[in-house]
Amino acid sequence: MSAVQAASLPAVSTPPKRRFRVRPSRIVINVVLAAVAIFWLVPAIGIAIISLRPESAFEQSGWWTVLTAPAQLTFSNYKTLFSAGFQAGGVLDSLTTSLAITIPVTILVTVISSLTAYSLVFGRWRGRTVVFLLIVAMLVLPLQMALIPVASLYNFIGDTTGLKIFGTVIGVIIFHVAFGLPFGIFLMRNFYTGIPHDLLEAGRIDGAGEWTLFRKVVMPLGLPAAASLAIFQFIWVWNDLLVALVFLANNTHETLTLFLYGQTRFLSSNYWIISTGAMISIVVPLIVFFAFQRYFVRGVLAGAVK
Amino acid sequence: MARVVLDDLTKRYDGGALAVDKLNIDIKDGEFICFVGPSGCGKTTALRMIAGLEDVTSGEIRIGDRVVNNLPPRDRDIAMVFQSYALYPHMSVRDNMAFGLQLRKTPKGDIDTAVEAAAKILDLERFLDRKPGQLSGGQRQRVALGRAIVREPSVFLMDEPLSNLDAKLRVQTRAEIARIHTRLEATMIYVTHDQVEAMTMGDRIAVINEGVLQQVGTPKELYETPLNRFVAGFIGSPSMNFIDLKVSNVGGVITLKGEGSELRPDDAMSALIRDSGLDTVTVGFRPEHLEVGAVDGPGLGVTVTLDVIEFLGNDVLVHGSSEGHDIVAIVDVDNQLKVGDSVVLSAAPRRLHVFNPVSLARMIGN
Repeated sequence: MSAVQAASLPAVSTPPKRRFRVRPSRIVINVVLAAVAIFWLVPAIGIAIISLRPESAFEQSGWWTVLTAPAQLTFSNYKTLFSAGFQAGGVLDSLTTSLAITIPVTILVTVISSLTAYSLVFGRWRGRTVVFLLIVAMLVLPLQMALIPVASLYNFIGDTTGLKIFGTVIGVIIFHVAFGLPFGIFLMRNFYTGIPHDLLEAGRIDGAGEWTLFRKVVMPLGLPAAASLAIFQFIWVWNDLLVALVFLANNTHETLTLFLYGQTRFLSSNYWIISTGAMISIVVPLIVFFAFQRYFVRGVLAGAVK
Repeated sequence: MARVVLDDLTKRYDGGALAVDKLNIDIKDGEFICFVGPSGCGKTTALRMIAGLEDVTSGEIRIGDRVVNNLPPRDRDIAMVFQSYALYPHMSVRDNMAFGLQLRKTPKGDIDTAVEAAAKILDLERFLDRKPGQLSGGQRQRVALGRAIVREPSVFLMDEPLSNLDAKLRVQTRAEIARIHTRLEATMIYVTHDQVEAMTMGDRIAVINEGVLQQVGTPKELYETPLNRFVAGFIGSPSMNFIDLKVSNVGGVITLKGEGSELRPDDAMSALIRDSGLDTVTVGFRPEHLEVGAVDGPGLGVTVTLDVIEFLGNDVLVHGSSEGHDIVAIVDVDNQLKVGDSVVLSAAPRRLHVFNPVSLARMIGN
């Protein structure tokens, strides 16, 4: 009623202010968010700048002096690190070793999880729920608990069959895949339960077998979940130190995390190498993230039914 | 094009629930048959068994000359339209329609021709490159139909394809499906819970209740000679009125009386009721067959107190009660009835359906 009255009044009263008014709560939220973002970014920026300053500068002044004297920035640290080439123990060799572990693990976990989830959701065998619950139970198993048993299992296999797994990249891959699968299956299964069964039935009537249904119907619809899983998995394995430390012991090739860990010293760590190596190790996950990001499209299922 | 025969088709679920009980229907080549019944009556389960999406517990399904019980859906030469449309959301309209043909390794040129032809019939040509999410409900339903058409199956199965559409689109799409049927001359099995849909579309209708087939027949047969009280009440809108009347035999003259209602049977009806030896019968009569005012001679008269009057235009729909029975009638607007009026409504003997109150089977009518 008041709106009707207001509309009938002559338009001489207050001009519309609304467009220019910013709610105070909005400002507060933005300030807080900006503060958090800066607080979060400072260490990363610090590391980035340290990696771009000469080695000698580290002990003379803080990285923030760059703000007043930007001329000191140089790529010399990167040049020195890269000049070692692909020698074992160098940063480029570590980069390749990390990739040689992370890429197969990510692919294997994503593919095996998707296939298992398909069977758990759309398969027609008894005991699917029990198997799923067992898999969920495995989620709570701490990785540390398995380090020694798995190491002795690897050694046992090596002793009895001559197949050397312990201390090899393959051994690390197997360990990571085994520990990545419970979460992967959990995530994919929960996503697949949202796909209407009607779609698969329509596919069956159209003439698709299980494999075609998986490849042409379920997998494309599950892409957002598969992309998130791949990103998570990639970053976890990429950042892993513990498993590599145990299972890559005595291997001449080491992962990036092992390489960085090796640069810490009791009294004086090689901060210029650590910061430069850390920057290199940040770049790869960032590339992966931005490459897969476009699959995080909402509403992929819109229009399927109804 | 194929004949479909259901022979003692039965479905019992693992838990023991009987969904379909010994269904026997012979569906002729090119026939449009509707399975109709209330929710949970087993009509969809029967359809899904024909499609091969549900295992058969016992009995036989024959499509053409083949027993298909153990064939996977793709080998049954059928296409199905789902209630939810079940379009592949990540594929364009064109790919949705072409998917089945691609899987059958049909040459690309033939697929394009078939898709274009179906799109033309369904007026979807402009939307071929859109995704289902960008279409309205009616358009999606047409894509689902198109996906079935391009395959040129011998049998079309449709599971309540119109129930997600609004009233106007439903009428349009109903006509569209009827046209497609005439054009393709394919056998169509159409499941619906809406008896109006079944009456208007089906060459024949199979009424199913609690997994059991009640009656198969043309819409006219079901309307005029329902075989039992369930079919009588299910077919027709508004539904048939029923009242229980006591039989009195005074010196061989049969009269039937209720509280506030009386039926004077004609000779044939008298003979049947006398021979049955029943002391109570259920009499059914359709709202559209009632007239205001008592009749002389044989017929039914019911005294009704009116409580709701709905104006339909030429007619009025009146609701009332007669000693505990709800009675609905469609009468001429000229009668000028008012709420609260107490009137006598009557029906001629040929409009009456008499049912055995115990077995609910039809005794006489028309």
